[in-house]
Amino acid sequence: MTVNSSLHSDSNQLIISIDERFDFSLHQQFRDCYSQVQQKGLEYILDLSKTKYMDSSALGMILLLKDHVEMYASTLTIQNPSDTVSKILEIAQFHRLMTIK
Amino acid sequence: MSINRYMFGLFFTLTILIIVNQLVIESSAMFFVVVTLLLFCLGYYFLILEKSSISNSSPAKEQYIPDVDNELIHNVVFELQQFLQQEIKVIEAELNRTKLLIEEAVFGMSDSFKEMQSLTDEQQSMILQLIDNSHSFAGGEGTLEDFVKDSDKTLDDFVNVIVNTSKQSLETMNYTDEMVTQFDGIFNILSQVESLASQTNLLALNAAIEAARAGDAGRGFAVVANEVRSLSVDSTELNQEIRNEINQAKETIANLRQSVEIMASADMTSTLEAKNKMSVMMKHVDKLNQYTNSSVDKLSNLSPKLTDAVATGVRSLQFEDLTRQSLHSLELNVESILSISKVLADFENKPSSDVHQQLISLKDKCQAVYQETHLAESKRSVKQLNMDEGDIDLF
Repeated sequence: MTVNSSLHSDSNQLIISIDERFDFSLHQQFRDCYSQVQQKGLEYILDLSKTKYMDSSALGMILLLKDHVEMYASTLTIQNPSDTVSKILEIAQFHRLMTIK
Repeated sequence: MSINRYMFGLFFTLTILIIVNQLVIESSAMFFVVVTLLLFCLGYYFLILEKSSISNSSPAKEQYIPDVDNELIHNVVFELQQFLQQEIKVIEAELNRTKLLIEEAVFGMSDSFKEMQSLTDEQQSMILQLIDNSHSFAGGEGTLEDFVKDSDKTLDDFVNVIVNTSKQSLETMNYTDEMVTQFDGIFNILSQVESLASQTNLLALNAAIEAARAGDAGRGFAVVANEVRSLSVDSTELNQEIRNEINQAKETIANLRQSVEIMASADMTSTLEAKNKMSVMMKHVDKLNQYTNSSVDKLSNLSPKLTDAVATGVRSLQFEDLTRQSLHSLELNVESILSISKVLADFENKPSSDVHQQLISLKDKCQAVYQETHLAESKRSVKQLNMDEGDIDLF
């Protein structure tokens, strides 16, 4: 599995972690991680600590996730991006849209 | 003659002593002593008088050869006059030459200073133009910095477009997936329709068998049963066609999926590199701007310094004025010497007249000239001697 997700009901967190490559091939899996979650006030955490490569479709997927998060009044945080990934996020100016740490 | 005065004083005192002795003391011993002293002093006086007359006799003797000395004096004066004349000529020539040289040099220097000033101005304006050009492009629209900033913004917009395209493509993909699910639903319904058709077929077959058993009475019903059966076969065929069409649509959707995938997955590496290059470029432009600004500052500081240097040079050219004054006073001095020389020439012209008289008149004239020169010199020393005190006098 290249996409892992785990819902922690006690701390209201949904953690989605991605493997090395984050590209178009993951879009179905990625969408399945959150499309059925309709809980409000949840904290979505996208863990990119293992990710080394990311293309524009990954950015599109994150934006779709962001739309979903906003629809259910939740927050989105990107965690531990590598240098390269961090640069790509910076170019796409994602730091204005969500928390990156 | 001081000795005479002392002697007369002594004689007088001794005579007074004798008179006092005769009138008051009346001592013969004293009289004798005083008279002896008086006689002794008289003897000594005559001895000295004799000696001084001998020592005075030697210059008196020289006065006996005045003709030879007069000639010598004339010769000396003539030589002196000749010498002075020659020296004056040389000095005047040198003075004139110096004047000319200084004048030429000053003109040359003044010209070169003027040219230097104009060249400096030209250089300054060229530098300013260069700075202007370095800031803006040929058309004068925007600076290099603006261009880089615009490019950076364009790149950001481009990235935005890419990301949004990806997002839209993914949404399209989601809709497509939903459509595929719906196709599966259609297939499900189609299988139900197919089973209906096969049941209809079986029913029609049963009806035909029952019609055959009824004989002639069931003949018409057999025709209807056959028609129903052929209808069910047709409907099965139609179902198959629908299935085929939908399968083709599924293939088309697979193609669509690939296209959308290509559209959605743009590699960000080149964009990342472009962005890096842009930031390097931005830093470079910043550095360039800073360097240009500091150069402009330096140059603008340099320009007044150059002007100052040229002004100092021009002011220093006032030495010509001072030198001219010095040369003029030198000329006056030469004229004084010349007038003395003329006096000497007059001396030479009247050899027969009294030498003593001529010497006295020469002395007087010399004194007159000396007084004149001294007066002129004291006037001159009041005049300006320092160049720095004067204002800038442009030539």
